[in-house]
Amino acid sequence: MTEHRNQPDQARHEELERVWGNEPGWRSASAVNHTTVGLRFLITGLAFFLVGGVLAMLVRTQLALPEQDIIGPDLYNQIFTMHGTVMMFLFAIPVLEGAAMYLIPKMIGTRDLVFPRLSALGYYCYLFGGLIIMSSLVLQIAPDAGWFMYTPLSSSTYSPGPGSDFWLLGITFVEISAISAGVELVVSILRTRANGIALNKMPIFCWYILAMALMIIFGFPPLILGSILLELERAAGWVFFEVAGGGDPLLWQHLFWLFGHPEVYIIFLPAAGIVSTLIPVFAQRPLVGYRWIVLAIIVMGFISFGLWVHHMFTVGIPQLALAFFSVASMLVAIPTAIQIFSWLATLWSGKVLFRLPMLWILGFLIVFVCGGLTGVMLALVPFNWQVHDTHFVVAHMHYVLVGGMLFPLVAGFYYWLPHISGRMPSDTLGRWGFWLFFGGFNMTFLLMHLTGLLGMPRRVYTYDAEMGWGWLNLLSSVGGFVMAIGVAVVILDIALHFRFGRKAERNPWNADTLEWATPMPVSAYNFASLPDITTRHPMWDQPDLPDTIAAGKHGLPEVLNQRRDIFGSDAITGKVREIVHLPSNSWLPMQTAAVIAVVCISLLIKAYPLALAASFGVLFFALRWSWHNGAHPVASPWRDDDPVDPPLHSRTFDGPGLWGMVISLMANGTLYVSLLFGWFYLWTAAPQWTAPEDGPIALLPLFASGVLLSLAVLVFRRAVSQLRQGTDARLQSLLWLAAGLGLLHFLSLVWVLVTAPLTPGELAHDAVLTVMLYYLLFHGGLATIFTVLQAVRVRIGYVALRLPYEPVVVQPFWMYTLGVFWMSFAAFVLLPMAWGGV
Amino acid sequence: MSPWSPLHPLHLFLGLVIWSLWFVALYGGLSLACEFAPPDQERGALTWVNASMLLLAALVSTFLLWSARRCWRAAPNADEGAATGRFVARIAAAVYLISGLAAVGLALPGVILPPCI
Repeated sequence: MTEHRNQPDQARHEELERVWGNEPGWRSASAVNHTTVGLRFLITGLAFFLVGGVLAMLVRTQLALPEQDIIGPDLYNQIFTMHGTVMMFLFAIPVLEGAAMYLIPKMIGTRDLVFPRLSALGYYCYLFGGLIIMSSLVLQIAPDAGWFMYTPLSSSTYSPGPGSDFWLLGITFVEISAISAGVELVVSILRTRANGIALNKMPIFCWYILAMALMIIFGFPPLILGSILLELERAAGWVFFEVAGGGDPLLWQHLFWLFGHPEVYIIFLPAAGIVSTLIPVFAQRPLVGYRWIVLAIIVMGFISFGLWVHHMFTVGIPQLALAFFSVASMLVAIPTAIQIFSWLATLWSGKVLFRLPMLWILGFLIVFVCGGLTGVMLALVPFNWQVHDTHFVVAHMHYVLVGGMLFPLVAGFYYWLPHISGRMPSDTLGRWGFWLFFGGFNMTFLLMHLTGLLGMPRRVYTYDAEMGWGWLNLLSSVGGFVMAIGVAVVILDIALHFRFGRKAERNPWNADTLEWATPMPVSAYNFASLPDITTRHPMWDQPDLPDTIAAGKHGLPEVLNQRRDIFGSDAITGKVREIVHLPSNSWLPMQTAAVIAVVCISLLIKAYPLALAASFGVLFFALRWSWHNGAHPVASPWRDDDPVDPPLHSRTFDGPGLWGMVISLMANGTLYVSLLFGWFYLWTAAPQWTAPEDGPIALLPLFASGVLLSLAVLVFRRAVSQLRQGTDARLQSLLWLAAGLGLLHFLSLVWVLVTAPLTPGELAHDAVLTVMLYYLLFHGGLATIFTVLQAVRVRIGYVALRLPYEPVVVQPFWMYTLGVFWMSFAAFVLLPMAWGGV
Repeated sequence: MSPWSPLHPLHLFLGLVIWSLWFVALYGGLSLACEFAPPDQERGALTWVNASMLLLAALVSTFLLWSARRCWRAAPNADEGAATGRFVARIAAAVYLISGLAAVGLALPGVILPPCI
């Protein structure tokens, strides 16, 4: 699409491009722009997908005929483990996050995500973490205990090599990326929508991404905790999962599936969002039952957390508890069915255009419904027992994940390709790609249901000819290769279209959502001016939007003081509340991620002093990052001509940073609650749980430490309260006092830890207590450092009465630290004393 | 807007939060009861564990269904930002309703199954 602009307009666009654009050449690695970062996620994810696909082909080659020895058992274990790991952690989630990062700001009518540097950090953590994990495969020391790393198989006794360490450390590294994206997307959707996009006007895709992002916030921390505990057990010998020391391997299963089941929906929801976005476009009518779908998304987001035990039906749980999870597993089919019927009703009542993306949507409907039906079968406990750990489960999982994620993703690729490249894909190649993939997929996995019902277990590298599974496996393998050819054709189509594709006209699919109001190919700033939106279908109801936006007839048409500005809006009504100034290109995200990578690698090679030094490096870069904020000269220093209606966010008490802090603390809190769960679980369920007769933690010093912390929080709150009341006379001294009390709390906690006769290498009881104390120390120390920095910033003039924002952001961190301290005191110290077994 | 108002967006998910907490209490409570005070297996489902579980489920689901009715009745009265208010109240009513029904559905096996076998 070529736009014809007059001279002033052209100058304005060039200025916007200069301020919002990336650095040229190799310096573009410092880019933080959501379009660039989102595309990088997508491309990197696709590269990992190809690796995962090649691993799958190796598996199918090995299993094609009975009694083959092309791949030995050890390498086979590495290959299937890495296939699952790569596809789940390095492809599915990051690619969908990348798609969300690319699309969300454009759909809600803004210029970028609200924490651009966090996006960039997330990308580099993903890239470096992914490369670290992949390096294990190259070195032939890849993890080989399955993608869910069950203990004791993954413990140092049964997996003595570094494979499991690569998985635990690498995946935790990659998960930083997921959590970053979760925080970023939640706050962006809630706080930076275009003026007028109230909750009931939000594009349906945003509801899906909001739910996905919140599920990441609550779903990933249990696995992060589990990985930390298992790595501590493997590397330091602390006991968490070994029965002999009072641990329990089932704790790992609980922590893993508390993450693992929601993970399926974390993958499904954005893909379903693509379906809900595309179907109305190709049916040329609004989505039937918008409110019903919103309801289904909310219900699915919650109920999917209540299903984790259905992965553990065979571990020996009372029948009644099994029944709870069986019913919950069936319940989740209801919100899924609401969506399916809504999509069918939309298609039924519209005039469907069978363009290329629609073909993949139809493939999704067929495959996913089949996967859903086998899911309901697996929710029935007796059937589940029969097919547990067979190829039936493998087939079901692929129907749900490939059907529920890959088909919509490819549909989305084809749909939004013109947006990225300005060109249309080839219809002929695209249709070939679809039919090869669809046919090959069903040939592979439909038959695999039967292989499983005939009793073939998963994860065996070969089988006897007389078992009768040979012909089914051969056909599955042929299907697998047909599917691979389909993938190759799609990739070829996408690659060729950049050169040979027909130029796309504006809004080529006649879509209703706002991303099609941006220039094609897309610009760095998305919208030359930020429109008011009063409808759920802006491009249908206001078809002149692209012209009026480009002509600067809406909000913030000019660049002010070389800043990247967007609107911040009310979470419910979408009315503009402030101007959010965003940070520009920066090397800090890459530097921070690189130092985290050093921590990760040094832990892998057991160079612990280096790991400690690199951890301080991470702290340094993170604090340097936080320093360049608010009224700092590189951010938005105070000016007399600063806008006041609406004001800049750093001049208010409720900017997006506060929301980011609270959402981050929700993730942090979930990690803490997972630790509490582990404590109570081991206490009540571990077969050989042992507690020392005398409590290992000194009660009074710990209590005194808590009193100091409480005083620090009171003083900090007093400082913020005075700011709110309109005075900053004692701000600096109060902050110094809070920091001093925080330091005393920290030091007393160190003393408690050092003097406690804890033996984490012998008793799970002591190991959990030690982790809890380190957790409290970490938070107490960090809160103190934050407060020292705030006091210094007050002295310099970056924080003041007219710049009150930062202490307000730090306050929830103090409150959280206080809350977890006293909760820990109650749960880890007082409750065992009261119960009689410390 | 007060968080207690049925038009407050908190109600979009509060019903399911309550349901989740109840579910955790149900599963955790069952585990604790079976660990520390398991009832006689021969009594089948007629145990204090099942009775407590069903009573709690009845209380929680009654509250959730009452909340659903409250939100539904408030929907037409939304004044400020009427469309958004109605949207929030109706979705919230449905969320409460589903949460209440889900609590009933999950507790039903307690009528026939013994708790700790």
